[in-house]
Amino acid sequence: MRSDKTSIAMELLNSDRHGAWSFLQDACQTCGYCSSVCPVAGIDDFDPRKLVRMVNLGFEQEIIEARWPWVCTMCAKCEDQCPMNVDIAEMVKQIRSMRDRDKVPGVLHKGIEAATESGNNLRLPKEDFVFVLEDVAEELAEEPGFEGFTVPIDKEDANILNTVHNKLVNTHTDDLKHWWKIFHAAKESWTIPSDNWEGTNWGTFTGDENAMKMMTGRIVENMKRLRAKNLLWPE
Amino acid sequence: MFDLLIKYIKEERIRLDKSRYPQLAVYHDPCNYGRKAKEYFGHAFYDEPRWIMDQCLANWMDMDPCKDAQLCCGGGGGTLLTGYNEDRLLYGKKKMDRILATTAEMIVVPCHSCHGQFNSVIKDLGIENLEVKYLWEVVADILVL
Repeated sequence: MRSDKTSIAMELLNSDRHGAWSFLQDACQTCGYCSSVCPVAGIDDFDPRKLVRMVNLGFEQEIIEARWPWVCTMCAKCEDQCPMNVDIAEMVKQIRSMRDRDKVPGVLHKGIEAATESGNNLRLPKEDFVFVLEDVAEELAEEPGFEGFTVPIDKEDANILNTVHNKLVNTHTDDLKHWWKIFHAAKESWTIPSDNWEGTNWGTFTGDENAMKMMTGRIVENMKRLRAKNLLWPE
Repeated sequence: MFDLLIKYIKEERIRLDKSRYPQLAVYHDPCNYGRKAKEYFGHAFYDEPRWIMDQCLANWMDMDPCKDAQLCCGGGGGTLLTGYNEDRLLYGKKKMDRILATTAEMIVVPCHSCHGQFNSVIKDLGIENLEVKYLWEVVADILVL
């Protein structure tokens, strides 16, 4: 809330949607433990206690439009301290979900749209993805101790299926090599799927539960298709 | 991920050279493996990475605060991607103060977001001699083949 506001327009209060939430927002005792540990308390005159009170009172539109829920990193330090177990980080996620998708800040929703349509946040075509992996694998095979290394793409019945963070096939390809080196040394049976390999799940950040479910479901499908025994999902 | 590395080390499927990185390192607890994992899965991964750190590095320490009371890197929750970079760096500098107070030369993290955020703050502050490594990167770097 702006501090220059002297009265509340009661007709703007709407707790219909918040009323259905089960995050214990109504149990808040306004003690302020959450605000005292929050690293972004004060930005835009906001803090977690204020946020919880606004949800409780029904300041729906003001919270949806505020920048603060997007500056919050959902680190959960607030709720870890909360004596009433108010689930503040989940509340922030729900508030984010209530924004129009074209008003989601930055590249978050664009990434989800790209992933929905192409299988990954970069819209990287399958042949380019495979090219990057094989190129990095060739580089690694030139290092002492890794002679003959190849990357097992779409291998069936592997012990481990490994997802890939999109930055590792974009700007940080050298970072692909760390796990590959460990697998090679441990003589592990592993694989990377050539479709739907994306390990990040930006629906978590925008409160888009359908996108979260879709991305996770695709990984499960890959596990089934390739009959992989274990999942390594370090993203 | 932690369990897999621990399994490889305990079963001697990989061997490590603990003398490779003599400089002082700190370990950072990502929110997702700590408070969040505790909330969602009933278990926070605090002991597992520290056991791995012990196998890899002769000279590492915890920062204060850590574990449940840890300060987030400031890059979580999608904040690396919202465009609100000024706020993200402000937050990141609070964390970096705690790291710099240890005089460590290397930060070890098991999270892509924390890794990106620390590098971003380091670049912003011009302290590029401070190195950021993934936990699995440290393991890969010191493999005895």
